[in-house]
Amino acid sequence: MKWLKIILFLLPLTLVFNSLDAQQRFPKPEFHTKYTQPTPTTPEPRGLEMEFVDVLILLVVLSLTSWFAIKKRSRNGILLLTVFSAIYFGFYRNGCICTVGSIQNVALAFADPKYVISLYALLFFLLPLIFSLFFGRVFCGAACPLGAIQDLLIWKPITIPAWLRKTLGFIPYLYLGLAVLYAATGTEFIICRYDPFIGIYRMNGPHLMIYLGIAFLLMGLFIARPYCRFFCPYGALLNVFSRFSRRHLSVFPTKCIQCKLCTTSCPFEAIDFPDEEKSKPDTKTNSRKFILYLALIPVLMLAGAWIGSKSHVFLSKAHPDVYLAELLISHPELKKDSKNIDIQTFLASGKSLETLVAEAQVIRDKFKTGSSILGAFLGLVIALMAMGQVIFRRREDYQANKGNCYSCARCLDYCPVE
Amino acid sequence: MNRKLIISILLVLAVIIVALVVFDVLSSRPDKRPDNPYEYSVDQFKSVDSTLIKYEETIDFTFGDLDLRGLAFANDRLYLVEDNYLVICTPEGKKLAKSELPESPRCVAASSNGIYIGFSNYISQYNLDGLLIKSWEPLGDSTVLTSLALQDCFVFAADAGKRRILRYKTDGELIGSFTGKRDSADLHGFIIPSPYFDLAVNSFGELWVVNPGQHAFENYTFEGELRGFWEKAAMTIDGFSGCCNPAHMAVLPDGSFVTAEKGMVRIKIHKASGELLAVVAPPEAFEGETHAPDLAVSPAGDIYALDFERKMIRVFQLKK
Amino acid sequence: MDRKKFINNSGRLVLMGGLAYLTGSIIYQRKVSASGKYVWQIDPFKCTQCGRCATECVRELSAVKCVHAYSLCGYCDLCGGYFKPNTHKLNTGAESQLCPTGALTRKFVEEPFFQYTIDEKLCNGCAKCVKGCGSFGNGSLHLQIRHDLCQNCNECSISRMCPANAISRVPIETAYLIKGGFKKPVISTPK
Repeated sequence: MKWLKIILFLLPLTLVFNSLDAQQRFPKPEFHTKYTQPTPTTPEPRGLEMEFVDVLILLVVLSLTSWFAIKKRSRNGILLLTVFSAIYFGFYRNGCICTVGSIQNVALAFADPKYVISLYALLFFLLPLIFSLFFGRVFCGAACPLGAIQDLLIWKPITIPAWLRKTLGFIPYLYLGLAVLYAATGTEFIICRYDPFIGIYRMNGPHLMIYLGIAFLLMGLFIARPYCRFFCPYGALLNVFSRFSRRHLSVFPTKCIQCKLCTTSCPFEAIDFPDEEKSKPDTKTNSRKFILYLALIPVLMLAGAWIGSKSHVFLSKAHPDVYLAELLISHPELKKDSKNIDIQTFLASGKSLETLVAEAQVIRDKFKTGSSILGAFLGLVIALMAMGQVIFRRREDYQANKGNCYSCARCLDYCPVE
Repeated sequence: MNRKLIISILLVLAVIIVALVVFDVLSSRPDKRPDNPYEYSVDQFKSVDSTLIKYEETIDFTFGDLDLRGLAFANDRLYLVEDNYLVICTPEGKKLAKSELPESPRCVAASSNGIYIGFSNYISQYNLDGLLIKSWEPLGDSTVLTSLALQDCFVFAADAGKRRILRYKTDGELIGSFTGKRDSADLHGFIIPSPYFDLAVNSFGELWVVNPGQHAFENYTFEGELRGFWEKAAMTIDGFSGCCNPAHMAVLPDGSFVTAEKGMVRIKIHKASGELLAVVAPPEAFEGETHAPDLAVSPAGDIYALDFERKMIRVFQLKK
Repeated sequence: MDRKKFINNSGRLVLMGGLAYLTGSIIYQRKVSASGKYVWQIDPFKCTQCGRCATECVRELSAVKCVHAYSLCGYCDLCGGYFKPNTHKLNTGAESQLCPTGALTRKFVEEPFFQYTIDEKLCNGCAKCVKGCGSFGNGSLHLQIRHDLCQNCNECSISRMCPANAISRVPIETAYLIKGGFKKPVISTPK
């Protein structure tokens, strides 16, 4: 009965003017020669039964990566898993569904009462987050096919100045917010649309996306994992989760001898230096700044919400119905454009402009709420990023930054401590 | 490698990435999308030489929102069947009577003797006020009646389901049927790829049947012997388009045919011998590719077309 | 050190709580289907033959193909889906064929019937024949997503561009919506 409901939802009210349309071919021609009528073939979907296997393999890869990163301290093991993920999740399974994209399925399932998410998509979303709460970003280390292809193509990584890194580090949160907003309002899945590597994994795809993938990979020769660091919306989530991980890869096995070797090994600049004695800030001004930034949180969130709600009209233009409604109101002469497929299809559907506008208004209202929340979220992110500048944690050793470290284990090979 | 070179490469790449995304976003907006490169167009056949159009649309009328099924003209009255009703009105569209039918009708014919309504597999006889006189014997499940025609002492019915023409006495007695094989070697008689199968008796008492799959008009004796035929399959204005046309037809008092085609909808007049005589309504008079209107003709030669899409009767008269 | 551990632990608890809330609310609203698998499919009755299935699929040669519901076909000699509208000779010459890739083949069955078959290796899903068949014939030719070719993307890139919203996720049990067996749902008009 459940699928029946889904069908009913999937086939919404269409105006039926004549039931003849639905009729079986009539009358059937009578053949007098020995002719048997063929039936249309219906090839089985490829690899759907593999979904269960995919989840299982993801679980195994995540567990092995955690073990290699924390217990076994083996870069080679992780490298092997990276290659495996690129081959299995990427080239063999062609990249769908992936953990990064599953954010949108979860957001849509959360917001849309009619959307049904498959268990596998939900598990793909949850498993890496749960692992990151215990072992850090082991998903990024070896399981993510998007990360794997970039990781394998790091050639001459350059260092990026901290100010630029931190500024660009805001993009993933923005991307995450927009992706959730557009998914939850049923507009589109932007993460999937601009997934740069899927065309390469499939070795087939729209030219534009292939070029995008090649551009990212070329960039990745010099900036290690550019997509992961400055775009990936799931990485933004993992960054937060991983900060609170129970255990995490440690650069040194027993005691840091301050040799600095590990810092040259990390292509992501994810290793924090120990504090220099003199750099210790004045506690008094620092705590004053801290209180100031704390007070800034609600201010920035409110400001963000205000800006968000102001920009909802602009953001909602991404929804095809909203765009079409606006277009038909502002340019009614386009109705005569017989070549415009979208407008002609709408006119032929028998739906009135009023209905379209009313539907667009409902969507826009959703955007109003959504973009206010998005604005507040981004305000919070900015405030917390600013606070991160003044929170002082005493560090005596070279240690991986739990938020930024991908658990790729390169540094482990460099550490001379036995 | 030189750090400056690397940075400039990276900057170029960043610009490329942004440009690709921006281009993709902008080019996929509904007013920026490309035209259909695979468009199927019959527009070149839609424009009709205006000197051929000898009729003009004079009045339209409608009786509400019900699905219309068929129409007939007799006794200076229009007899219209719609989903579960029989409506009798004047030629100007003034409703005189309306009576409920037991189920959805499919076709109608009328003369001074009464009204005959075809349901899916049986015919009912009504008096001129719309009261049921009697329902005739049902014809079985695979029968689908699509058209009726009246002659002084016979009622002819087109059965699209069994691809045959039935002949009744006016009181309902089934006298015979034929399947339209042109000679005994023929594998098939009437070719009916879709449920459109029309017939008519002209003022000279000749029975004409449309063989839609052959785009043909066939003249039969009442016993079912082929006396003559003409056929013309063409997308151009002088022929019949598509898989199976004309879908509906009627005869003018002089014996020429008014034809209505589905797909590219158009109404034309052909001589009894087949030549195109005039165009009544070009494809532009109808919306898109759709159903053919059912036709009725008054003794004065006015043409009544039943537009299934707009749910109205459209009247065409000779241009003055 | 204890303070650090406390923050770490409580942060983890809060995040786990968040995940649990998210998952719980999705499960509670019965929006997870464990057994249900979904694929993309075209509703042939909504399709308007805009040609985008040929251009928007992520595959070079679209996973959308024309399928033939033979049970609806009239086996006509003059096939609106096979011949160009202005064709005069009803033969298999390339100049009279409507299909831009020559994917529709015609075979004589018996006078006057012909069988039309789609060569899926050539078909690009442009729907030109679908339009011709739908306008002038019985509409037995129509588009379907072929699941042996479909990548089952998370979001179908054709559906995003489909002007008629004809593409949607369907349960695997009804992976194909082939005309004849699949009928246009009739919404009864109030009497």
